[in-house]
Amino acid sequence: MPDTDSSVAIVDCGDSAVVARATSGDAERDWQLVHSLADAFDAVRLDGVYGIVPTYDALLVEFDCAGTDHETVRRVLRREADRLGEGPVRTAAARRFVVPVVYGGEYGPDLPVVAEQLGLTEQEVVELHSGADLTVRCLGAPAGAPMMDGPAFPRPVPRLASPRTRVLPGSVAVAGRQAVICPMPSPGGWPLLGRTPLSVLDLDADPLTPYRPGDTFRFRPITPEQWDDHAGLPLAVSHG
Amino acid sequence: MADTLTVHRAGLATVQDLGRFGRSRYGLPVNGALDQHSARVANVLCGNAEGGPLLEITALDFSCTPSTDVLVAVTGAPADLTVDGVARPQWEPVSVRSGQTIRITGIRLGIRVYLAVLGSFNTPSLQGSCAPDTILGFGHVLRDGDELGLHTHCPPLDHPHFRIPLFRLSAPVPRFHATWTIDVTDGPDLAEFGDTAERLFRAPYTVSAQSNHIGLRLGGEVPRRVATGEVLSRGVPVGAVEVPAGDELLVLHRGRGVTAGYPVLAVVTATGLSALGQVRPGQSLRFRHRTLAEAVTAHRAQRHAVDALKTRVRTVFDALRIPVPPL
Repeated sequence: MPDTDSSVAIVDCGDSAVVARATSGDAERDWQLVHSLADAFDAVRLDGVYGIVPTYDALLVEFDCAGTDHETVRRVLRREADRLGEGPVRTAAARRFVVPVVYGGEYGPDLPVVAEQLGLTEQEVVELHSGADLTVRCLGAPAGAPMMDGPAFPRPVPRLASPRTRVLPGSVAVAGRQAVICPMPSPGGWPLLGRTPLSVLDLDADPLTPYRPGDTFRFRPITPEQWDDHAGLPLAVSHG
Repeated sequence: MADTLTVHRAGLATVQDLGRFGRSRYGLPVNGALDQHSARVANVLCGNAEGGPLLEITALDFSCTPSTDVLVAVTGAPADLTVDGVARPQWEPVSVRSGQTIRITGIRLGIRVYLAVLGSFNTPSLQGSCAPDTILGFGHVLRDGDELGLHTHCPPLDHPHFRIPLFRLSAPVPRFHATWTIDVTDGPDLAEFGDTAERLFRAPYTVSAQSNHIGLRLGGEVPRRVATGEVLSRGVPVGAVEVPAGDELLVLHRGRGVTAGYPVLAVVTATGLSALGQVRPGQSLRFRHRTLAEAVTAHRAQRHAVDALKTRVRTVFDALRIPVPPL
């Protein structure tokens, strides 16, 4: 049975997971709540829990049902959600990452098609994509990719009819009302606008990626000739 | 320690463990042995910690030779296990002398075999686990001629009557099938499929060749989402049964990306996931509906059987003076 006493609904998700969903209907508030709840739940260090995935309006908790049970996980989630009360506030300060991107051509082969779908010129698409700070909402697939709110396009961007089997690392993509950078080569169905020469992920770092939910990304257009000036440099917080 | 395991024929083998736990918040899938039960039992039969590194051998023949006396255990799908040409049992510890050749051939019914060695392998680790992550390009994939570093400490075990098995530990051996029954519970988005949801249980599905550790694709009569509206990307559990556009079901396994945007119709149970880790492309499978309580009970029973085996192994190893690391 869904547990819907307050601003969070908790539902079972198989024998080894539950999902807590924020139900205010306000996207910003729901996002704040699930990430605050993730921090609070994580701090409890409940035995048997082996993974949590906070996203936009939902928090997935995965556990070993031989080491804990649904009732215990639900009870702790409910307790922590109640404790957060009406106005959850995340305390981690947002940081800003400036990301150089070569747009179009072989770097962003879908730029023309996206421009056409949106009824814009390629230049207008680039200006919208690079013209405002985009907020990271969660780390997702593949490989801890930063899932961002998309730029202020006039409408959602359709996914590719036929996904690519291999997207190059550093590819900058959009779909629906979301934006992302692909950290590692992987299959992908999101249209590609460009590519950054920066290295997004460091296998020797912990965590592997430097950004957190709440941080912002600002894309900065560069020319293909400037690629080598940035190639392989790590993505790092901008202090400028 | 300069002891090694020399790989003659690698086939498709990797160094594996139970997975990279606690990293899904940073976007990393858990990965790890696809048949968790068989992997656990292989390590337990060697007196190792359940989560220690072991070899996951997929579909193809494999052979290797240790440079020192070792105790090994081979679990997972039925196969022909020999040591210097002499047939040896799976699901029991097997003593192998320095220089002898271990061969695993004819893997059948299932697709994955696990080989554990008393002690540990020398293998790179990422965020606390040696489990391969194909998206990160991390993992120790074995090649012909590899020399795998071995930390082992097993005295040679002589048996007065050669060919009579030294051990009878009665490990919990799962059943392997030509056609599989995979247990699922209701998914959180079941209602979005309306009356079509019951199709999941009506007829068998055929496992496509496009199946791997990330997910299995199943051909057959596919339920349809009747709800409309976009699904926001969110965390999906290992075992999620999804219905993307098209004529196939997608069942996510341990290498799955942590977020996805398809509704979840059903979720494969913990015991069902170990079985699913053995299903071969081309085989057929049927889903069976379980309640949450039934699924949890089955998982706990399976784990309890492994715990009981652990106790028997300790007793036998103590009697034989085989040193085991503290658990």
